[in-house]
Amino acid sequence: MAVIELRDVAFRQPNGVVALDGVSLDIDKGEVIAIVGGNGAGKTTLLKHLNGLLKPSSGTVRVFGKDTREQSVAELSRRVGLVFQNSDHQLFSETAEAEVLFGLRNFGFSEDEAAKRTDEVFRYFGLEHLRKRAPLTLSGGEKKRLCIAAVTAWNPDVLVLDEPTVGQDYPSKLRILETIRRLMEAEKTVIVVSHDLEFLWPLWARTVVMIAGKVVRDGDPEEVYSDSDLLESAGLRQPQLVTISKMLGRSPSFRNVSDAVHWLERREP
Amino acid sequence: MKRGEIAVLAGASGSGKTTLLRSINGLIPHIYPGEYTGRVVVDGLVAQETPTYELAKKIGFLFQNPENQIFMFTVERDVAFGLENLGVPRPEIVRRVDESLKLLGIEGLRNRSPSELSDGQKQRVAIAGALAMGPELLVLDEPTSLLDPRTADGVVALVERLNSELGLSVLLVEHRLELVAPIADQLVILSGGKVWKSGPPAEVLSSEGLHEVGLSPPTVVEVQRRLREAGKWPHGIGLTVDAFCSEAKEIWR
Amino acid sequence: MAHLLAEGLRFRHEDTPIHRLDPRVKLLISIALFSISLLTTDLYQLAIAFCAIAVPAALAKSLRRLGKVMSVSLTFAAFIFVINLVFSYGLYRSATLTLRFMAIVASTSLFFVTTSPDELEYVMRWFRLPRDFVFAFVTAVRFVPVLMLDLTQIIDAQKSRGLEMDKGGPAKRLRNLIPVLIPLIVNALVRSGELAEAMESRGYGAVKNPTSLYALHLKSRDYAALLVTVAVWAGVLLCFRVV
Repeated sequence: MAVIELRDVAFRQPNGVVALDGVSLDIDKGEVIAIVGGNGAGKTTLLKHLNGLLKPSSGTVRVFGKDTREQSVAELSRRVGLVFQNSDHQLFSETAEAEVLFGLRNFGFSEDEAAKRTDEVFRYFGLEHLRKRAPLTLSGGEKKRLCIAAVTAWNPDVLVLDEPTVGQDYPSKLRILETIRRLMEAEKTVIVVSHDLEFLWPLWARTVVMIAGKVVRDGDPEEVYSDSDLLESAGLRQPQLVTISKMLGRSPSFRNVSDAVHWLERREP
Repeated sequence: MKRGEIAVLAGASGSGKTTLLRSINGLIPHIYPGEYTGRVVVDGLVAQETPTYELAKKIGFLFQNPENQIFMFTVERDVAFGLENLGVPRPEIVRRVDESLKLLGIEGLRNRSPSELSDGQKQRVAIAGALAMGPELLVLDEPTSLLDPRTADGVVALVERLNSELGLSVLLVEHRLELVAPIADQLVILSGGKVWKSGPPAEVLSSEGLHEVGLSPPTVVEVQRRLREAGKWPHGIGLTVDAFCSEAKEIWR
Repeated sequence: MAHLLAEGLRFRHEDTPIHRLDPRVKLLISIALFSISLLTTDLYQLAIAFCAIAVPAALAKSLRRLGKVMSVSLTFAAFIFVINLVFSYGLYRSATLTLRFMAIVASTSLFFVTTSPDELEYVMRWFRLPRDFVFAFVTAVRFVPVLMLDLTQIIDAQKSRGLEMDKGGPAKRLRNLIPVLIPLIVNALVRSGELAEAMESRGYGAVKNPTSLYALHLKSRDYAALLVTVAVWAGVLLCFRVV
């Protein structure tokens, strides 16, 4: 069942630039999908159409069957939670706890229900130790995970993450990957936008490639990531495991380092 | 660091990279006071005892976010900013601005406003501004972390060109080791405010325990390290996929 | 309304005889127009002075922009008119004061519309205003579009958490500003910290009198404009029997 349907969506910015040029895309319930492309490909513009922040210049966006033009951002956000690239654009409360409660209160949860969900979400993402801390004093990775927790708290069906790994160091990226896996375990529909293919590779998600406001490929990760020409024209860097697999003539590509090492160990000179 | 070298400084958040960089160009201790022991000497100048504007003549410092280092309304005026501050005579300013713009390939952007530029272009404008001051050492604080892969590659290639063509010494702080390891002469890893390991990149990246200090070696290096551990990799550690694969094909085809 | 005002006062790069003038000359023109409206209390003279502003405005292809500013100031103008009437200054007096206000607004915006922030900086330096003050001004103007972008992104982020800024009574609406203002202010502060580091790294304060890439030079067209302005100014003042 398609949870999100985009049909020929085009979006023109006030300054005349065409950010989206006829995008059609269907996303099913429980799917995990990666939307990739360089800066300026239209990824963020696309995301903003999913919760009504932007309405298409032409074409339709349907979320849970209803046209987004007929819904407010608040209504749509209740079911489609967006986590933006810059955590510093969201955090303002005195405690991490208050930050989570903010969204819950906006969406009309009772104090009891809100408290319960806050507890749940801190526990689920392993962030209890940050609960009473001031959000602005947290590290980059902690802020990002707090934002993801805050958005998950009101239990949207769809979670959209915009460039979750930009500026993050390695341990932080690992934790964000783990957080995404937790979301997948909870059977949410997860959309991750990124230009970091190395990070996305272990997720093994359906991958949509965007160039200049258009969707140029939509398919399984093996097929998409192996297409060096495509990645080159999209301004993306192929994950090293894929390049190694191709150069050594191995198909399908190695899923992880252990895979590669074991295969190579067993080769005869 | 030796003159003409490219050194890469890496470490997880909180390892002290930011602090170390700011001790080099004098922001510590002149702007950020605290307890200071030890010495930083840059081209004969002791950072602790030299005013920041003197150090600025030797060290071109580039910050992570190019937006916050472009002050003026047009590109050429921003590139001139440092020279104006130093009281350089006008004809000299004009000459050096022209040279910098040409070197970075951004003459066409001369009269443009910074808000119209792409991230990659802004990064180049910032570098041009630093170069105009004629530094011996270029310090870049995570220059690629906010950029997409294509733009990031462009910046790394640019830095390498500046080093090879102009003999500029470069100190680069970077997370994405796969990008910069191939061009580095020296890799220094910080952890908990101390140097954990330093040396040629291939050696450092194939050491044990990198993960514990919050870093991940490039996949290709990790593969080679584990093969070597299993006794199946008699060669040196290649830093790029190309280097590794050409060796691998020799053995296994 | 605020949008119209911002549009009306923003410098737009055009190639007109007025735009090409040295900014000091443009300043003088505005001051000339400005001062005439201050020096006379005759309604008909004021009307002429006000309409006269249209001449350089037309030359600068900025009539429409000025029109936008005027439409915004109409509210204030009406306010001034009514207040004066109420305090029994009479119809004539009220009309002159209102017209004077509008003339001042028009002549000032003429300057801002035809002068880039760049040129403004040069004028300020020429007046030997303190370097730090001029620099603060330049940086502020340079970062206005950046902060505006921050603001839209923050509003987007908070709306996505269910914040509805156009609902509720005045108290609620005010409280709803907090999740928007705090990130904005914090980000601006962090940004200024980074700017300060960058300034130090580019040698700010090394020398008491920094040099500059460009200098203001009066060209023949500037002298011509000066001559015309002074002549017309003197002529008008004499005609109006003011001097």
